[in-house]
Amino acid sequence: MSRKQRFLIVVVGLALPALFSIWAPALMNDYLVRVVTVMCINALLVISMGLANGFTGVFSLGHVGFVAVGAYVSGVLSLSDANKASYLPDLPVWIAAIHLGFLPSTIVAGLVCVVLAFLVGAPLMRLSGHFVSVATLGFLIIVNVVLVNSDAYTRGARTFTGVPLQTTLPWAMAWLLLAVVTLARIIYSPKGRAWRAVREDTIAAQALGIDVLPTRLSAFVIGSFFAGVGGSLYGHYLGSFSPASFYFAYTFSLISMLVIGGMRSLTGAVVGVIVVSLLSELLRNLERGFDFGIVSVPPLYGGSQIVLGVIFILIMIFRPSGVMGDLELSLGRIAALLHRGRKETNT
Amino acid sequence: MKLTRRNVAGLAVMAGLAIASSSFSSRLAAADDTIKIGAPFNVTGAQSSVDSPALNGAKLKAKEINDAGGVLGKKIELVIYDTKTDPTVIASTASQLINQDKVPVALGFTDSDAVLALGTIFQTANVPFVTPGATSPKLPEQVGSQMFLACFGDNVQAAAGAEYVLNKLGGKRVYLLRDNTTEYTTLLARYFKEAYEHGGGKIVLADDYKHGDTSFTAQITKLKAFPTKPDVLYVAAQPDDIGVVVKQMRQAGLMQPIVGGDGYDTPLLLSVGGKAANNVYFSTHAFMAEDSTPGIVKFYQAYKAAYNTPPENAFAALGYDTVGLVADAITRAGTTDSAKIRDALAATQGYKGITGSISYSQGSRVPDKTVSIIGVKDDKLFLAAEVTPTWIAKP
Repeated sequence: MSRKQRFLIVVVGLALPALFSIWAPALMNDYLVRVVTVMCINALLVISMGLANGFTGVFSLGHVGFVAVGAYVSGVLSLSDANKASYLPDLPVWIAAIHLGFLPSTIVAGLVCVVLAFLVGAPLMRLSGHFVSVATLGFLIIVNVVLVNSDAYTRGARTFTGVPLQTTLPWAMAWLLLAVVTLARIIYSPKGRAWRAVREDTIAAQALGIDVLPTRLSAFVIGSFFAGVGGSLYGHYLGSFSPASFYFAYTFSLISMLVIGGMRSLTGAVVGVIVVSLLSELLRNLERGFDFGIVSVPPLYGGSQIVLGVIFILIMIFRPSGVMGDLELSLGRIAALLHRGRKETNT
Repeated sequence: MKLTRRNVAGLAVMAGLAIASSSFSSRLAAADDTIKIGAPFNVTGAQSSVDSPALNGAKLKAKEINDAGGVLGKKIELVIYDTKTDPTVIASTASQLINQDKVPVALGFTDSDAVLALGTIFQTANVPFVTPGATSPKLPEQVGSQMFLACFGDNVQAAAGAEYVLNKLGGKRVYLLRDNTTEYTTLLARYFKEAYEHGGGKIVLADDYKHGDTSFTAQITKLKAFPTKPDVLYVAAQPDDIGVVVKQMRQAGLMQPIVGGDGYDTPLLLSVGGKAANNVYFSTHAFMAEDSTPGIVKFYQAYKAAYNTPPENAFAALGYDTVGLVADAITRAGTTDSAKIRDALAATQGYKGITGSISYSQGSRVPDKTVSIIGVKDDKLFLAAEVTPTWIAKP
């Protein structure tokens, strides 16, 4: 493939989802648009989680902590003045005076998470294996406790509400595409190779002159930026949320998407989100009971969670490294597939 | 494509999905001669012990209305979804109800957080929503003109609780414990404090815990070490915590009356708390028993016949009343137009429900109702008092 062809394919690959996201509201009803929007936000969160968890081998359970920070930071910044006065009367004046639009507040949320990730990561990224999981879990708990107790900024445990509903499908899709392109560029660059080297064998990596701490820290920090952005998107999608929305339940649902799809592949992360989201939506509608004419099934609420759990177990038994493993859907692979297909039809 | 084993498995999955989705769409096409009422409830998850009874009550009333000929000559159909106590699912379901099922009106939930996650979507679409059991009096103001409560607000039940503590239990000093992680419990504690102090009582010690905590040792130790002994313990708790709280307090030797809100109105209080639940009092919407008011008794028997179990709590009756309230509004509106139904709802005066009469006076969308105080004696619930509070904290 020539350079020009390659460029063309990338442009088309980006333009198609972008156009789809703009035209979607005309093609499907609002419910489906919302499902796709949530999928985009979750995909953004899962691929950024995979950066540390999958590619660098730092299995962090604190990702949702950054999502929470992103949601609250952007929420406080973009709340309208009237809502600020009624919901957050004790907000310090200098913060109350700031009012940002959706995009700037989202970027600020991401940057706050970068700073936070740096502070948290500098000590924690020295740890490996299970230790880092437990330590980052501690971070998630700290974030939750701080959110619940800083009444003046977050309304404490009460629902933070009144956030303008500005996360539309094009916004979510745009951020997702930006994240995919950025992360793909980094992961398959020398930097990304260093990440994977650290994951496979720290001692061998050090022998090659790779400094482990900065390498891990960079993955953690970049992932946290997109976690903050995703948090802002999620907050502006729901409009009202509480610290409890960003806790264990959400953590485990993101992790299951990551593991199902394949931790060591960007494509896998996206596939995981699509598979889990579509299955749970489908099952959620099916558990209301249905009528085939021949067989009719009564409503079985909660059945969807059971079926979903069984499917997860089966996937983990038969494909322990996730649906995609460490394979990517790359241009080279598509070309190879097409080539092989042609050869098969020839013979 | 060669038919390898893997491909066969893939095809089977695809075929399954195709069949599933086709059945799904055929479901949607059916039944145009009914009046649809959206009914999202958290049948699974943390809220299930209160939402499931509410849904069962709602289904019972819908069946009774249909057996009696329906509304406007049509049968009513509850479009039920389990929203799994998950805000994302709640938001998706809200838009599914509006855009796919096209319901003109909906009812559901017993928790403020759930209602807030759905509220804005209904408000934007101008579709009225009535909650049977989310008791935050701030909801109508937070969400907007389409939001109605079929139950009293937390400020009313907290005031009733405060008056009961002061007048009947003779409690002048109270220990206040709250779950500081949910809207309902923080508001309830705040309203109680305001009403109780207004009535002349004194909160001697206040403490917090987190929803889902399994050990309350820290709070109990602090309370036992405190020099002033409180007369009464007021605990603002969610349904899934209260059994454990009560049990651990009694084990630590704290035998004072424990008082709380309608979060206690769950079978978990007796099943988890056991003997420890004696001397517990809570404010709720109605007393569910065979020796209650005639309306409740009739409901009690019908519920038992339909579900093989007595009504678990007052939320069952609230679900029942909410369907009646909505059906009544549709009848008075004479149409299934959302705007007309909303106006008819807002004009409701003296709808006779089994949990009390519902009126929305002076543009308020929170009804004035009396509060039932229920006590536990000999491992059984009894109706301790019916209270109409004299002073109520501002929402």
